[in-house]
Amino acid sequence: MFAAPETYKHDLPTFHSQISMPYTLTPGRAAGTFLAEMPNRRIVGSRFPGGMVIAPAQDFSPVDGEEPEALVQVPESGVLTAFTRVGGVVIGLIRLDGCANEFPHRILADLDVLSVGQRVAAQWSDGDEGTSITAIKGFVLAPEAPEGKVTDLADPAEPLGVIDYSMSLDFEHAYGPYYGRMFDEIREHGRIIGIRTSNGEDALLPPREVDDITHKRTGTWKACGNTGTIRGCSIINMEILGQSRKPPYVYAEIVLDGASTRMIHVIEIDDLESAKEKIRPGTRVRAIWTDGERQGRVSDIDRFEVIED
Amino acid sequence: MSMPRVGIVSTSMTQLRPAWDSAQHIDLISAVVLDVFKGTGLTLDDVDFIIDSGSDVLDGRSISNCGFLGALGAHHKEEARVEEDGLWAALYGVNKIRAGSSSVGLIVAYSKPSESRDIDLYWGSMVEPFYQRPVGFGQKAALGMQAQRYFAAHGIKDTDAAALVARRWAAAAEGGQVAIDAVPDADTVLASAEAAAPLTDLMISRPVDGAVAMLLSTEDIAVRLGRAPAIITGIGTSMETHAFSARSANQLESVAKAAAMAGAKAGWKPSEADVAEVSASSAVGELLVLEGLGLADAGKGLDAAMSDKVNRSGGALPADPLMATGLVRLAEAYRQLSQPHPGADAPRRAVVHGTGGVAMQTNCVFTLEV
Repeated sequence: MFAAPETYKHDLPTFHSQISMPYTLTPGRAAGTFLAEMPNRRIVGSRFPGGMVIAPAQDFSPVDGEEPEALVQVPESGVLTAFTRVGGVVIGLIRLDGCANEFPHRILADLDVLSVGQRVAAQWSDGDEGTSITAIKGFVLAPEAPEGKVTDLADPAEPLGVIDYSMSLDFEHAYGPYYGRMFDEIREHGRIIGIRTSNGEDALLPPREVDDITHKRTGTWKACGNTGTIRGCSIINMEILGQSRKPPYVYAEIVLDGASTRMIHVIEIDDLESAKEKIRPGTRVRAIWTDGERQGRVSDIDRFEVIED
Repeated sequence: MSMPRVGIVSTSMTQLRPAWDSAQHIDLISAVVLDVFKGTGLTLDDVDFIIDSGSDVLDGRSISNCGFLGALGAHHKEEARVEEDGLWAALYGVNKIRAGSSSVGLIVAYSKPSESRDIDLYWGSMVEPFYQRPVGFGQKAALGMQAQRYFAAHGIKDTDAAALVARRWAAAAEGGQVAIDAVPDADTVLASAEAAAPLTDLMISRPVDGAVAMLLSTEDIAVRLGRAPAIITGIGTSMETHAFSARSANQLESVAKAAAMAGAKAGWKPSEADVAEVSASSAVGELLVLEGLGLADAGKGLDAAMSDKVNRSGGALPADPLMATGLVRLAEAYRQLSQPHPGADAPRRAVVHGTGGVAMQTNCVFTLEV
């Protein structure tokens, strides 16, 4: 089975990448009200026809999907129904008094003293946690806490509309022997090498073990030219998230001389009109490498330039 | 016209390693796709469709399968990706063949969790963002509470879970498909760092990298290839509610539902299987699966787990290639049925299980027969 060919060894470490996504989350009426009530130190639940109450509030019954008939204020006391400790933080499931469901939150006690059925009570944060559920710092053991009652929610706060949110994931991608060798060559020698197709002379870029079209093993390595031909392009004149340079510029799919596949890169332009005139499928272009130290990345080619006749 | 029966023709798997840092996804995928045809007489030309399984979040790119099409052998072929464990990809493939639109399908599942700097964030992406993520609830917390409840309900000790984990690692080491530096004994399992009390790190399934490919075909074609195929005779799936706290404690009802569905099609119960290959996210998770399958009564999963017919491959505890684990189980069960140990009573029936989601929310069961 797969074993990296020794002859294709490369020196590159993993390739770091990050996906960082901004979101605006919509909590809806129930969760939006629950969160809006956090600064008021009130815990909001949902009461459904038939009298079942769940907390934190939800717009739909977890049992049958029915809508709640009212949002209510639920007690700050309840019982512990399960617990664990992750990374030193004790997390448990809590059933608040008068509620039919359980939910996870932090337990502010040592794991060793916990047992299922213990009475617990909310402890509010000293700091300003805004409208986060962490305004409840956690739940402390409260053996004497009297059984609380669910009450009407007087003057509920306006539910939050949208919440800014972001999620960021970091990756260390392996290059593998084929991409690794190619990026090594870019860094060490400032040239682009591909690998011949299984049945022809032109090179696949990026190189790979198996030819996509024939699904046979690819051929031998081949250095591609520093020049090539545009096979597809678009003038980008709009700012979008994630751009690496300021518009306008041309996004181009370029077939390097000696290659059979298109590589994606950019062509800098002075103005839109002359770009429209000069840059089109069939236009010949040349790679312009960066002046700085090469990193072993596609961005070691700073840009492509049109080869003037 | 009756629906054709569907059999497994061939499987291929890379070694399962904590990190395949010398290879990227396409290297692993093309390796198993090239290999899976060997000895079958089939070629890629015979393949009517390709179904693959993986996770965009784990792969670190959107619609990641689009970048893997060439390696999958999917150029100008019908291809679809299932964002679920690989056993669901096989389910999809079986149904396509049974429906009569195709006769040979290639199923591929792949995983490189080693590329995620923090695998807990992958799991965290699955839980609710307003109430659950901010308080630190995620996969580990859910597995920890699942274990805490199970231990308390049935008088099971952490030493019992540790013995199970050690047994699974030893089996995996013997099988040779899993890269293992040193097989931990039960004391080592107990002494590993706390992951989610009462579970230690080694009691939670170890994420590993790898790829697995499988050829499915109609029984007719499989028979023509000259070897008795293993026929997939039953499939069932079921899902727990997303809210972990709303699920029944100390049982995985969805496993029981999926097992009943698969068993009804096969005409026999999973407890009658000669071989069981099951997935799990933790040692306690595996016990809950065995109980859900009916291999043991509630709280008695450990007895079934120590049986020689369960997870001879080592199961998911030593090697959990997230999104591929269930297909690995099916490949292992196929190998045990089609290449039985000489001398032993040859096993004829296998039950296979795959899972996904936080604390094993979704479950799939296959029955396999030779």
